[in-house]
Amino acid sequence: MEKILHKERLDDWIAALSDREILSPALEDGVWAFRPAGAAVRLDYPNTTQPPKGLAFPQREVFFSFEQVKGEAPLLRQTLPQVAQRVVFGVRPCDGRAVPRMDKVFSDHVEDPYYWARRKQVAYVGLACQQPPSSNCFCQSVGGSPVSSDGLDVLLTDLGERYFAAAVSETGKALMMAGESLFEAATDADRAQLQGAHAAALARPQRAVRDPDALPSKLKASFDSPLWEELARACIGCGICTFLCPTCHCFDINDEVTGAAPLKGKRVRTWDTCQFPDFTMHTSGHNPRENSGARLRQRVSHKFQYFHENFAMHQCTGCGRCVTGCPVGIDIVSVVNKVAEHAG
Amino acid sequence: MQDNVYLPQLARVVRIADEVAGERAIKTYHVEPLDSAGFEHACGQCAMLSIFGRGEMMISIASSPLVKEYKQFTIMRTGRVSLAFHELAVGDVVGMRGPYGNSFPIEAWRGKNLVFIGGGVGLAPIWPLITTAMAQRGDFGDIGVFYSTRSSSIMYRAELEALRGQADVHLEGWRTHQAGVAAGTAEQTVTAENSVAVVCGPPAMIKSVIQNLCQLGFADEQIFTTLENKMKCGVGKCGRCNVGKDYVCVKGPVYSWAELKKLPQEY
Repeated sequence: MEKILHKERLDDWIAALSDREILSPALEDGVWAFRPAGAAVRLDYPNTTQPPKGLAFPQREVFFSFEQVKGEAPLLRQTLPQVAQRVVFGVRPCDGRAVPRMDKVFSDHVEDPYYWARRKQVAYVGLACQQPPSSNCFCQSVGGSPVSSDGLDVLLTDLGERYFAAAVSETGKALMMAGESLFEAATDADRAQLQGAHAAALARPQRAVRDPDALPSKLKASFDSPLWEELARACIGCGICTFLCPTCHCFDINDEVTGAAPLKGKRVRTWDTCQFPDFTMHTSGHNPRENSGARLRQRVSHKFQYFHENFAMHQCTGCGRCVTGCPVGIDIVSVVNKVAEHAG
Repeated sequence: MQDNVYLPQLARVVRIADEVAGERAIKTYHVEPLDSAGFEHACGQCAMLSIFGRGEMMISIASSPLVKEYKQFTIMRTGRVSLAFHELAVGDVVGMRGPYGNSFPIEAWRGKNLVFIGGGVGLAPIWPLITTAMAQRGDFGDIGVFYSTRSSSIMYRAELEALRGQADVHLEGWRTHQAGVAAGTAEQTVTAENSVAVVCGPPAMIKSVIQNLCQLGFADEQIFTTLENKMKCGVGKCGRCNVGKDYVCVKGPVYSWAELKKLPQEY
C-alpha cells in the first residue's frame, strides 16, 4: 500500500489512531527521545539518542514478585506486562533493521514471554533518512540503507510538503486504513519523486566498514591478535556503547528486596553488558574475559562474526551511536577496519 | 520446560549433607518439587536454583536421571546465592527451573570403557554419569574414577568408596597441578582404546588433563568436558555464557574436545 499524506494531515492521522498509545521523538533537556506524542508528532529531528529497543526490551522490568513468611513456602506472582497497543513514529531505518535482529534473539531456542508481550503491541512507523542524521552513520556498509523499510510497519519519506507512506506489513496497512480518508493515492509522479529522493539519500556520503562480508573470517583469524589490547587501551568499561546499541540484548537478573519480614521483593531483569569486567567472572575468581581487549573483541566479534555464523546477518545496523557516545573515542568502524587490515 | 521460562517451580529441601568444611565449604542438597510436577533431566543438564531475596544461580544436576523423586545439587559456598544455600535447613523451600543445556551422549557409550576425572566440586556435573553407569554396570567396560582436590577433603567420599570393587577408584589419583604424577598414574590404569574420558573441574585443571589424555592416545572425539560458565537466563538470551557462536547454557555445557576446539579459547 503506497499513499500520500499531506504534512498538515499528520496530526489528524495520529488522532485517528487515538485508541493506541503514540510515541514520537521529543526534545527533552537537549536530548531527543521517544516520548508520548500528545497532540503533535515531531519528525524534524536528527535521530534519537537511544534507539526504541526499550519499548520491547525495557532497561528494567519485573519478572515476578515474591512474598515469603519465614518457614513457609514463598508466594510468587508473575507480572507479565499488560501493554496497550503502541505506535512509535519517527523510527530511523537503522533502528528498524534492529527489530528483526532482536526478534531472532528473543525467539531463538525458546520465546521470551516478557519481550514478546511488549513487542507484539508495538508498531514501527519509520522515517527515511535524507541526510545522515549523524556524522557516524554507516548503515550502507552493513547491508542497510537510509531508506530501508526492513523491520518497519510503515516507511514515511519526506517529499517536502507531503509524506510518501508505504505500508510494509499488515500492521502497517491497518494503521494507514485507520486514517484512510486522510491519505491520497500515490501517482506515478509521486513514485518518481520518491525514487529521486531515495537515490539522493543513497548518494550522500557515509562512513564505511570496508568489505563487511569478509569480517567474519577476518575476525576469526584475528582472535589472538595483540591488536585488541591496543585498540581497547583507552576503554574505561562504561558500557555506553552497548546501552546505546539498538541490537545489544545482554541482561542481568537480580532480586530486589522491598521488605524483610515477611520477605517481600521482586525479581528484576536489567540491561547488562559484556563490557563490564565482572560480566563473565566466575565466583571462583576465574574470568574468561579478564581484560578490556578481550571484552572489546567480544562486542565486535559478536556483532560481525558470531551473530553472522548463527543468523547469516550482521548484528550491527550502522547507527553509529556507539561511536558518538563513547567517552574515550573508541570507534567500531575504525576498529573493524584496523582488524581487517591487520588480518590481511 | 515451563511456559514462562523465568518463573521457577517451588521445591523443598529434603536432605542436606556436609561434604567439605572450611571457607569454601561444599554441601549436597536433595530437593523435591512442591507440586510433584518437577521435570525430567538427562546427565549433564543444569538447573537454575533460587533463594528468593538473594537471587538465582546455575548449578549442574548431580543426581542420575534414574532418580525421579528428587534432584541432587552439590554446592560450594563461594557467592551470594551459594552462601544463602549454605544457610538453609531441611524443609526450606527454594526455586528451581530447568532443565537447561545439552547432555552427555551416554547411550552411544555402551560397551565402552569409561574414565571419569573430577577436580574439586567439578565431580558433581559428572556424578549423574557415574551413578547411571554404575546402575547399568553390565552395559559398560572398565570404569575408572579419578578424583583430586586442592585440599585433602574429598566430597562424596562414602559414595566413592562404595564404588570400589565395581570401578577402579583413585582418590587424589590425578593431581592435575602435578601433571607428571597424573600422567604416571593414569598410564598404569587407562587405555585410550574403546574408551571415553569425561573431565570436569577448574578450567586450568581441565586444560591440563585434556593434554594428558591426548598424550595417552585419546582422540579429540573421545574426550568430554563441561563448561561451567557464569549464567543468568539459562535459555540463550542474556549473553553471559556466550563463547563464540554458542550460548553455553543451550549448546553446552557438554562438549567433546573436538567440538570445544572449534570455539574461541575463551572459557
